[in-house]
Amino acid sequence: MSPHDEPPALLTEGLTKTYGDLVALQPLDLSVAAGDRVALIGHNGSGKSTLLRMVAGLLEPTDGYAEVHGWPAGSLEARATVSYLSDEPVLYDDLSVREHVEYVSRLFGGDGFDSYAERVADALGLLPRIDDLPVRFSRGLRQKTALVLGLARPFSLLVVDEPFVGLDAPGRVALLDLLDEAHDEGAAVVVATHDPEFVERVDRCAALRDGELVYEGTATLAEALKLVT
Amino acid sequence: MSVTLPVPAQAVVELRRARRQQRVATIDWVDALYKAYLAALIGGFAVLGLSSAVGDGQVGATTLATVRADGPAWIGVAAAVVVAVGLRSGSRGGPLAVEGPDVRHVLMAPVDRGAALRGPALRQLRFAVFGGAVTGAVAGQFAQRRLPGATLAWLGTGALTGVVIATLGLGAALVASGFRLPRPVASLIGILLVGWAVGDGASDRLPASPSSALGHLALWPLRFSAVGLAAVAAAVVLVAAGLWWIAGLRLEDAERRTGLIGQIRFAATLQDLRTVLVLRRQLAADLPRPRPWVRGRRGPARVPSWRRGWRGVMRWPAGRLVRLVLLGAVAGAALRGAWTGTTPLVAAAGVAMWIAALDAVEPLGQEVDHPGRLETYPRDVGEILSRLLGPAVVVMLAVGAVAAGTAIALAPDRTWAVVAAITGLGLALAAAAGAAVSVVSGAPDPTGTGQVAVLTPEIAGTATVLRTAGPPMLAVLGTVPLLVARALDRNGDPALRGALIGLVIAGLTAATGFGWVRVRDDVRRWFREVSEQATGGAARSGTARRGGAASDEEDFDDDVDDEEPAR
Repeated sequence: MSPHDEPPALLTEGLTKTYGDLVALQPLDLSVAAGDRVALIGHNGSGKSTLLRMVAGLLEPTDGYAEVHGWPAGSLEARATVSYLSDEPVLYDDLSVREHVEYVSRLFGGDGFDSYAERVADALGLLPRIDDLPVRFSRGLRQKTALVLGLARPFSLLVVDEPFVGLDAPGRVALLDLLDEAHDEGAAVVVATHDPEFVERVDRCAALRDGELVYEGTATLAEALKLVT
Repeated sequence: MSVTLPVPAQAVVELRRARRQQRVATIDWVDALYKAYLAALIGGFAVLGLSSAVGDGQVGATTLATVRADGPAWIGVAAAVVVAVGLRSGSRGGPLAVEGPDVRHVLMAPVDRGAALRGPALRQLRFAVFGGAVTGAVAGQFAQRRLPGATLAWLGTGALTGVVIATLGLGAALVASGFRLPRPVASLIGILLVGWAVGDGASDRLPASPSSALGHLALWPLRFSAVGLAAVAAAVVLVAAGLWWIAGLRLEDAERRTGLIGQIRFAATLQDLRTVLVLRRQLAADLPRPRPWVRGRRGPARVPSWRRGWRGVMRWPAGRLVRLVLLGAVAGAALRGAWTGTTPLVAAAGVAMWIAALDAVEPLGQEVDHPGRLETYPRDVGEILSRLLGPAVVVMLAVGAVAAGTAIALAPDRTWAVVAAITGLGLALAAAAGAAVSVVSGAPDPTGTGQVAVLTPEIAGTATVLRTAGPPMLAVLGTVPLLVARALDRNGDPALRGALIGLVIAGLTAATGFGWVRVRDDVRRWFREVSEQATGGAARSGTARRGGAASDEEDFDDDVDDEEPAR
């Protein structure tokens, strides 16, 4: 298969989500090629999280479809390739950070807490707390734990919802570097964020307003935000 | 690109086993066994005590013939209701309550979801089977007091019936969830099943309902019928089908349930009934209608709290209205059973009406949920709350009418009709009072400060028991008209006189409850002042009911780890 024939990392066609009368996402067509880096911009309630959750398979579309590397979102194959990081870390009460990483790594066919996981944890400043229970952590440390879990497993599409919220300045810098690294290794990266430093690095922005895609291109954060207001 | 697929289900099993072992290692077995011993001891005494209260003698030949003829159909109604509830629960993603992290990490990993979900489902099945067996055995113990047949046969059959009914409910839910049965379809099937079962019980013209097979099973000690085996087979088939198609569970439903059930468990540990009720409604998607059934008058209201209450009532969803009618009918049937001699059924009638009243006092609950807002009104809190009771009492009078109507329909008889009508009235008032007390009392102060702090452990323990059991007991006292009337009737005295005497007692009980709602805030304020004087101002106020759970976060680093957005 030539690169031109390869399906995009993410493809949505007519992807729609409604809750009764409420339209959370209007029919959306979006394509993200392998290795692309996209910032998803929009105010609260614009449909960013809904879109990302549907791509991850957590929500089911009311209409239309989403595909990950040609596989339906939520299918076994898609789950193996998408790494989804939500804005709210969801962690076990009875596992330490290390045990979390081992558990999740094994679930994705990995070997457990390997050197890469250790490096990610170190970059985020989490290594000294690696054997502690995240249930006792602050919001920021829990967010970092979730980031380690999301990054220290195989993926080719990284889908992240508001990753910079709750992080301290060194954590923010480390995360930017880790996202760059994922991109450099060929993964497509889609991040819902208003962080200007990340938006400056992306290939393009997709702006949502009231569940509708109102802009897709290379605008700056300020320009994109004007479009969604 | 390439992916590694799939991860063997065995890996999930091994990982879960490791977590379980880790959890088990932290259990204090002596403490756990002591708790189990206490629960068994208290439960055993409660069952024996209650069953001895049933001891009104064996039923007569006519009643026995009626039980043999109509019993299977009416017991089948219970089975149909359980299956209907299971179907509705399944259509909303039940019955499983998967851990939140399991949804995010296990179910979103490339593992077979069926294999990952069967473990939790089997654990839930084990629990349901145990609960069903115990409840069924207890019911069998009650039945053998009044019906002929060997004690062991009733205990065994009761346990088997309980297991089958629990399995039917769980299986129906699993199938509905796995097949992603749309909610309207699940509701329709449930209504048809229950309707058929009720029709079967009420009329001889309809063919036997499928759920009556469970009734045949339950009455095996009276007469063995192979039809009962069909209920066992149906339960096995439903559970097997549910486990087979379990992977069809919608993740969004699973995630919604896991969050709500976690909060419900937390609220339940705090004995916060109101929060449990509100969360359970969210779980059941039992939400107010966007448009009211009847749009009331606009413009200034003479009694704002009265209008506010009715506006809330007019937005109740259809499911809540149906639930109130069903609870009224259950209470009515229980009243009839109590009149014919099974005295403990007054507890069932009282509790059913109390549960209905918890819905009826919703306008009051809405205000109590926001104590801060309530205290900003330029009115006395007790006055506002007591005025909100008006619509609740009217609603409960309607539910009481349903109870009385059901009771009369089961045995049309002039004396009984008068007693049932008066009891329905007393029960409605007492249940409304009990529910209102429940709602305004809220949860015990989780911080261990406030009133409890100045009480001795013995008094604090008694206060907790009263807080929990008191409101339903108030509702049960609403059945006093029936008990007094029955006692007089058995002595050859006029039952009407007894019912009226009982109504006065029930009315006074209700008035006490309503009065407590009116003065509670004043009493608490007085108590707070007294305790602050006694402790030099150390005792803190306990007015905030639900200020949120105590945070688990204890690790706020000195470095700026938590940069929250500017407020």
